[in-house]
Amino acid sequence: MKNHLLKIPFIFFSIILLIFFYLLIIERNPTDIPSALLNKKVQQFETSSLFNSQKFNSSQEFDNNVVLVNFFASWCKPCRDEHKFIKKISEKKNLKIIGINYKDNPKKAIEWLEKLGNPYSNVAIDRNGEIAIDWGVYGIPETFIVDAKGIIKFRHVGPITKKIYKKINLLIDEVKQ
Amino acid sequence: MTSSLGNFSLWVTLFFSISQFFFSRKKNQLKFVTISANGLFIASFISFFLLMYAHVISDFSLVNVFQNSHTTKPLIYKISGVWGNHEGSMLLWILVLTLFNFFIYKLYNDKNSTFIFKTLEIQSLITTGFIVFTIFTSNPFKKMISVAENGLGFNPILQDPALAIHPPLLYIGYVGFSAAFSMSVATLSLNKNESFYWYNYMKPFVLAAWTFLSIGIALGSLWAYYELGWGGWWFWDPVENASFMPWLLGTALLHSLIIADKRRSLQAWVLLLAILTFLLSVIGTFLVRSGILTSVHTFALDPSRGIYILVFTALLGGYSLILFASKSKIYFSNNYFSFFSKEGAILINNIFMVVICSTVFLGTIYPLLIEALTDNKISVGEPYYNSTVVPIILPAILIMGVGPLLSWEKENISKVIKKILPSAIFTLMLSVLFFSIYKIYSLIAIAGVSLAFWIITNNLIIIYKKRFNYSIGMIISHLGVGLLILGVTGSSVWQIEKISKMKINDEIKINNYNIIFKKISEIKGPNYLALKGSFFVYNSKKKLITTLNPENRFYPITGNFTSEASIHTNISRDLYIVLGKGNINNGWTVRVYYNPLVIWIWIGALIIFLGGIASTVQNIKKIPK
Repeated sequence: MKNHLLKIPFIFFSIILLIFFYLLIIERNPTDIPSALLNKKVQQFETSSLFNSQKFNSSQEFDNNVVLVNFFASWCKPCRDEHKFIKKISEKKNLKIIGINYKDNPKKAIEWLEKLGNPYSNVAIDRNGEIAIDWGVYGIPETFIVDAKGIIKFRHVGPITKKIYKKINLLIDEVKQ
Repeated sequence: MTSSLGNFSLWVTLFFSISQFFFSRKKNQLKFVTISANGLFIASFISFFLLMYAHVISDFSLVNVFQNSHTTKPLIYKISGVWGNHEGSMLLWILVLTLFNFFIYKLYNDKNSTFIFKTLEIQSLITTGFIVFTIFTSNPFKKMISVAENGLGFNPILQDPALAIHPPLLYIGYVGFSAAFSMSVATLSLNKNESFYWYNYMKPFVLAAWTFLSIGIALGSLWAYYELGWGGWWFWDPVENASFMPWLLGTALLHSLIIADKRRSLQAWVLLLAILTFLLSVIGTFLVRSGILTSVHTFALDPSRGIYILVFTALLGGYSLILFASKSKIYFSNNYFSFFSKEGAILINNIFMVVICSTVFLGTIYPLLIEALTDNKISVGEPYYNSTVVPIILPAILIMGVGPLLSWEKENISKVIKKILPSAIFTLMLSVLFFSIYKIYSLIAIAGVSLAFWIITNNLIIIYKKRFNYSIGMIISHLGVGLLILGVTGSSVWQIEKISKMKINDEIKINNYNIIFKKISEIKGPNYLALKGSFFVYNSKKKLITTLNPENRFYPITGNFTSEASIHTNISRDLYIVLGKGNINNGWTVRVYYNPLVIWIWIGALIIFLGGIASTVQNIKKIPK
């Protein structure tokens, strides 16, 4: 056996690890699922609001504003993790944030928001997940940015992390212009 | 309190691990190595049971317990909840590592001291790596800032007996391969004049690891079968692949160890396989826990964990593979053999296993490669694996049937034909009989079923003729593989699926069965609410065979819905019903599966396990004293 042939396993191994390393450090998000709804008009919906059980009419609520739409539930642990970022966005950016409370117990959802703070200007109830289906929601939490014309500009599946938070910040400024 | 105790015990584990590393590098420090190996095991045992205790008493002062447990959870799932999450599973991983470390230490005697010390040194290096990882990136004893009243629960689909014991079995498998890895590195670091029967030491560990990995994978698959409600038992999910790849290489390793032992050839190849098998186990862990891939199993995402595991893998792999490149030359032998011999059959089997493993590996990381290079997202699924793995595995099985019958070194063709003639005839007869009953023909089915009978008859004939020079463990395991192939073929080729919207008293026909939807009722379980359907199953003679009661459960604590499939099993088929969404007016979506021969998969896996245990015990006895 030639000596240099014995190095082959090491070389292969190094190449594979380098690829993994590259994948880890690039700005990449495995849950970034291309949405068929991207750059399309949002699906309008009517339901009731979480706080006052009044009607929630999406076209009225969105009303030519740039809106951040966030699907969440009190039973979802990652939602709790991302909540601080949503609060940050609501504090720093002058922007309407709509929450959509997915398959949740309204009482618990209200308790949850009281405990963690409420960044939403209004919360729509999606009791049986129909709004989520219309919006093509893959799993919660999920976040959308809708521009003033009601067109979906951004979609993120999974909790907002620091990286995504920065990206969203930039995007909001962009969409606002 | 628990938090500080737990952290303390973890640090003690780290201390002993490091001390074992240093003392095993020196000669004549047996006393300190003894203290370290014992201390290491005891300390990790304590930290593991501390966490278990915290879970059992629902001590919500720990983040880990808060996030993964709940007071209403049944006791057994409180216990299995310890390893049902990333941090806790790392503790279990460390516990198994230190247990194997202790076994290796127990093998010490005057004659093998250099080898065992070197092995312990590498083993403590691995252990240290995992402990540091746990303490700094995945600490299960992290304290809550404010103590909560109750926990966030635990994914209800994980509340299942098969899944409760599945991870520990898998870890015994992965970690067992770490012993083979350490022994391989130790062997490569020995001097030329210290030639040594290292394979006799490695074999029982590899056998144990392989056996537990096999049953672990089977249990995971069993769980997916009845819990996920998709009617299948294997989905080529990245996490499944992560356990399947080390299993494939482990299979190759196991068989080539026989050649190293009996013929003193292929030693360098075995050393390489031992290294690669464990590296693949670690890389599998990396893929699953770094969040680099998404899958149904994904643990919490954390990039720092990914970087850590990657660096750790790079160190282990870099060190061992460079050592292999520079030192393995002395393990090449000139014991040539003909391909038509037992060694030849095993070597071909080895090549097939390695090729399958590479194929699965490629399929698993291909989406990542494409994304890195082109920014497109693709997914690789069943069609890829079916069209690549199946054609390679069929000839491997064919050879598996003959392999054990061949003699070492060189075999005479006419002798072999004489040996395999009876089993070939039996195979033909059984296959004809089988297809005269089942009467559904397809090339792949005929190949699968006759290969299964081929393996089964070959091994039954060995047992019948009482050829005692064969390892009984091997025969049992091979028999299990035969049954497994029968089940795999039957359930994948002849599965029938029917989906329909059913109202009360509606009827559905599948194969020869009539199934009537009798009623639906609400029930209350310990921590869930459920809708339970009742389906009466009649056979072709209109006789009631059974009532199937699939459930649609809702777990209020986590807000999850799960569907509990209801399955009627006999030796020839499973009837499998899943109750979907619906209401009284429009009816419910009902999925019915007719899955032939599924039970043979589980029986086969169990027999493989028993054979593996028998082999392990046999080989423990063969360790030189």
